[in-house]
Amino acid sequence: MTLQYLRLFHRHVVRYIVRHRFLALLNVLSVGLGVAVYLAIEIANYSANRAFAATIDVVAGKAELQITGPVGGLPDGTFPAVARHPGVSAATPLVRGIVTLPDLTGEYLQVLGLDIFTNIPFRTFELTSFRAAGFDVQRWLGEPEALAISEEFARLHHLKEGDVLRAQVNGADHRLRVAFVLRADGPSAVVDPHFAAMDIGWAQELLGKRGVLSSIQLQLSDVGNRDAIIASLRGVLPPDATVATPAQRGEQVQNMLGGFQLNLTAMSLVSLLVGMFLIYNTVSASVVRRRREIGILRSLGVTRNEIRALFLSEAFALGAAGVIAGLLGGVLLARVLLGTVSKTISVLYVLLSVRELALTPWMFGSAATVGLLSVLIAAWLPAAAAARMDPVRALRAGGMIEQSANLSPRWLWCGVGFIVTAVALSWIALSTGPPWMGFGAAFCVLAGFSLVVPQMTSTFSHAAQDVLRAMQSVEATLAAGNLARSLVRNSVTIAALAAAVAMAIGVSVMVFSFRRTVESWVDQTLAADLFVAPASNEVVGPSSFIPPEAIKFIEEHAAVGTLDTFREIEVPMGRKNVAVAVVRGTNQRRFPFVRGDGVAIMQRFYREPCVLISESFARRNHVSDGQSLELTTPEGLRSFPIAGTFYDYTRDEGLVFMSQPTFLSIWKDDRINSLAVYLKPQGSADALTSEFRARFSQTGQFMLLSNRELRKRIFEIFDQTFAVTYVLRTIAVLVAIVGICLTLTTLIAERTRELGVFRAVGGSATQLRNVLLWESGMIGLVAAIIGVASGLALSLVLTGVINRAFFGWTIQMAFPWGSLALTPLWIIAAAVLAGIFPAWRAGRLILAEALREE
Amino acid sequence: MPKVGSLRQVLALGLCCIAADWRLAEPGWQYQFPRDHHVHPEFKTEWWYFTGNLIDLEGHRFGYELTFFRQGIRPPAERDPNASRFLVNDLKFAHFAVTDVTKQRFHFEQKISRGAFGEAGFDDGQTLAWIEGWTLAANGDDAFDLVATSSKGTMHLHLRAAKPPVVHGQNGISAKASGLGHASHYYSVTRLETTGEFIANGKSQPFRGESWFDHEWATNQLAAEQVGWDWLSVHLDEGSELMLYRMRLQNGAADPSSSGTLVAPDGSSVYLPSTSFRMTPTEYWKSATTGAKYPIGWRVEVSEQGIEFTVRTAVKNQELAFPPLVYWEGAVDVRGTRNGKLIAGRGYLELTGYAGPLRELQR
Repeated sequence: MTLQYLRLFHRHVVRYIVRHRFLALLNVLSVGLGVAVYLAIEIANYSANRAFAATIDVVAGKAELQITGPVGGLPDGTFPAVARHPGVSAATPLVRGIVTLPDLTGEYLQVLGLDIFTNIPFRTFELTSFRAAGFDVQRWLGEPEALAISEEFARLHHLKEGDVLRAQVNGADHRLRVAFVLRADGPSAVVDPHFAAMDIGWAQELLGKRGVLSSIQLQLSDVGNRDAIIASLRGVLPPDATVATPAQRGEQVQNMLGGFQLNLTAMSLVSLLVGMFLIYNTVSASVVRRRREIGILRSLGVTRNEIRALFLSEAFALGAAGVIAGLLGGVLLARVLLGTVSKTISVLYVLLSVRELALTPWMFGSAATVGLLSVLIAAWLPAAAAARMDPVRALRAGGMIEQSANLSPRWLWCGVGFIVTAVALSWIALSTGPPWMGFGAAFCVLAGFSLVVPQMTSTFSHAAQDVLRAMQSVEATLAAGNLARSLVRNSVTIAALAAAVAMAIGVSVMVFSFRRTVESWVDQTLAADLFVAPASNEVVGPSSFIPPEAIKFIEEHAAVGTLDTFREIEVPMGRKNVAVAVVRGTNQRRFPFVRGDGVAIMQRFYREPCVLISESFARRNHVSDGQSLELTTPEGLRSFPIAGTFYDYTRDEGLVFMSQPTFLSIWKDDRINSLAVYLKPQGSADALTSEFRARFSQTGQFMLLSNRELRKRIFEIFDQTFAVTYVLRTIAVLVAIVGICLTLTTLIAERTRELGVFRAVGGSATQLRNVLLWESGMIGLVAAIIGVASGLALSLVLTGVINRAFFGWTIQMAFPWGSLALTPLWIIAAAVLAGIFPAWRAGRLILAEALREE
Repeated sequence: MPKVGSLRQVLALGLCCIAADWRLAEPGWQYQFPRDHHVHPEFKTEWWYFTGNLIDLEGHRFGYELTFFRQGIRPPAERDPNASRFLVNDLKFAHFAVTDVTKQRFHFEQKISRGAFGEAGFDDGQTLAWIEGWTLAANGDDAFDLVATSSKGTMHLHLRAAKPPVVHGQNGISAKASGLGHASHYYSVTRLETTGEFIANGKSQPFRGESWFDHEWATNQLAAEQVGWDWLSVHLDEGSELMLYRMRLQNGAADPSSSGTLVAPDGSSVYLPSTSFRMTPTEYWKSATTGAKYPIGWRVEVSEQGIEFTVRTAVKNQELAFPPLVYWEGAVDVRGTRNGKLIAGRGYLELTGYAGPLRELQR
């Protein structure tokens, strides 16, 4: 049996594929692209997670417990009590901060201030002098500038022993000197090259953290007793210090990245979905074309199951080749995407440098499985149809043209059913969750519109034939007729293309609406004339502070009317940290409130201890106006009434606003991350900028942005965020266009006899080519119409359901009518282009051969 | 247990010799006591070295060494009292070793500390030096109290000087090599009547005996070609004490700057230049831990004083191995003659630079 099957496989699959090399290649390509995109996104996501885990390894080392300082840091005087605490077997203090390196554009270092006397049991890296082996303690402890950098960072920037780095912290220049090397322990360890280390004492001085620690790492004498130790440690710590295992911090970040990464994965699956349409198409074409072959095989005693297996194995063979190509291509594509993904994560979530691709066998296994499964699912229906085929009918001559031309209304009803399901799923995703139901809705939209395709195509075909006949365009009329005659095949091609177009349009509309919404939000909220922040905050987020003398200078400047100050901190709320923005009120900042009287809310905000929350925060944490937030403060748990909810698009984790008086009364910390300056009517932003630069920012320690420049910056970040989306969208469209080429090629092969007859009754090669080009143009047109329609529906799901459910953002729908109107044009052009090669081949058909079977 | 990892780092100290901002040991130092028992922060290196031979009520013999080291990281002019508490101005470390002669056991420990939280430091009133529970305190002008806790128990020592301090060398400096600055300020209290107790598992074990206290401070005293030194202190039963040191050059010969001091029973002292004595190794012991080969037996002649004796130890392994800081410091017995009369005594022998050159932590 097996041997016989192998012989069958060789004769009927391998030979077939070899004979139709071009066709096979296109199939392999489409599966390959889909698998590559899926794998690349998996790799990029996993690499980002690994890179983050590696940073935890470096910072927390072999700690079993980590005490993390609150906003102002942990007072370093708490260390001895923690180190001596019962159950603690080893403890080491850590000071951590970020410096930017203005001479190496865009570069920064995460400086770890280490205590070499206590951190030996915790280290996951090795410290040595830069040149010699060993470790110059005298230099480490005694030299204020001595810094350990990673080997990779040294290599990247051609740094050597003794080189001086200009580093900026809190708007001031410092000098650091390359003196030591930080090397990961063990061959498999990955260290983010941005990690640097210096003595804890000098780090406190450099980072302006005298008297405070960022964290204390602990090892325990009995890990099983951890919860009791945590509870008793809280007794010697400030109430807003967190005590947790290092892994818990990792989980927190992983949860935060989860939504973003799931979105990328979902996008990557669209290419695979388009690929499935193509496989379906190819296999069903091959079934139709080989009706006689099937009939003969069945007559010779080959069973239905064997027929099914034969066609499935054909698809499997193509799929397997595609998967192999896709696995290779995926790694290459991951290299391209990695930088973008890591940059987006840094901008939106957490400062992260992902340099290494992290590969696991599991990842390849899942990509291969997903790829092969999608191929088998796509091939199942046509293979089953082949198996069902009646051998007698199959052998009847002249029956080569598709039998399923009579359209079943079932398709249409199924389509409608899917669309109704999409609405239902959207409702569930928005009201109760889980948010991923939104992806289900998106899938149903695509599926629903795909199922409508046959009806639409048939209607179009008949209508077009009537119109074109009236216009006496023979070639076009024939083409329109062909469209309905190979209805299933054409429908599948159209559905594939329409799905890709839908995705492109859905994503475009979503991004466009998002951009428009952000634009109007920026117009509403960004009213200041000048924004001032330490330059390092641009690179690494709000980690540096503006020195008081700089604030005073601006405050007292003649051109300045009023000033808003801005401070961003993380505050523990329950088991997680939430971002809290502290603003000094001059009542200039205009919050676009979701509901309520803005003026009254703002008055309350500045008058009494309360908070404002962003819309995404409200959605994520299930809170709303009138309720309270329980935040852990230096004075212990405090409850803050929510005075209002405002629209905000800066972060999907959500944001809490607190007035500076409220914050100061509890946190007693008046440091400022940035300023928004409102000028007097006659004041000049340029004059203030140049005076400020001359005084405080000779070497670029501060970033000063005018209103217009800040807007520009915001949209640069916005576009950066969607860069990966654009890449994925383009790939899906490419796959679909490959599909047109594929379909026409199969159609031509299938209609060889018919085309022969066409030539025999006097049709010229040119006319034949024109018919085929017309036909592919029409495929493009129908696909464009359905694609635009389903794209608009999809954009509703993406914008109104997925974005809201995942990120809690309200986005006002906006449509880029211009580019939407152009979509059919370029789809048709692409379709015609894709038809050129098959049409050219058809024109070269040799008449006698084409008609030999007749 | 010694913290090997930390010490590895500490010992790279040996390579560091930038002395521009540190005061050199120069001739003319006027010693004053008890002032000079205290810290001298303007010098880079300083130590308080206690060794002694003890006997408990059951007649068991013990030797001990307790040393507090200060290695200057930043000279006083660069120190900012308001800066981070973690900044290290002085590296603080200490060694504690006990030799159980009867049971042939040797136990040694090291402490090293940043001192960011006052857990280690120097010169806090009567407490001259301390590090995480090991302390050296002055008790009046001529007595000292020592405490050291090891994994085996806690040792309390009360030392009372039987003689006034003796300044070594000439003109206030003890030369270690030729050339300016290759010297230290160095005095000893050569004989301290010692009582104390060892407390372990709630049991107290009293003992008594005699100790020797060395206090030395300097900046950059060793010369490049010196690899280590052999140092000997002896309490002779006829009431005098002898200290000799021999700076060893790379070729194995003794540096002419080597010297010694003989202290008479009345406390008067004689400077012994290198030409006045001879030290000849007679027995070697090779450490299985470090591979270093130490001359643990000696023949010593101080011809002008009519002194001749041999040095032997009852416990061969008295090596303190905190790699790369490795040295042999142990209780020894001497037996010989002075002007024909039999003499005997007990002392301490220190051998450095046998497991690699040792430049800064010197004797």
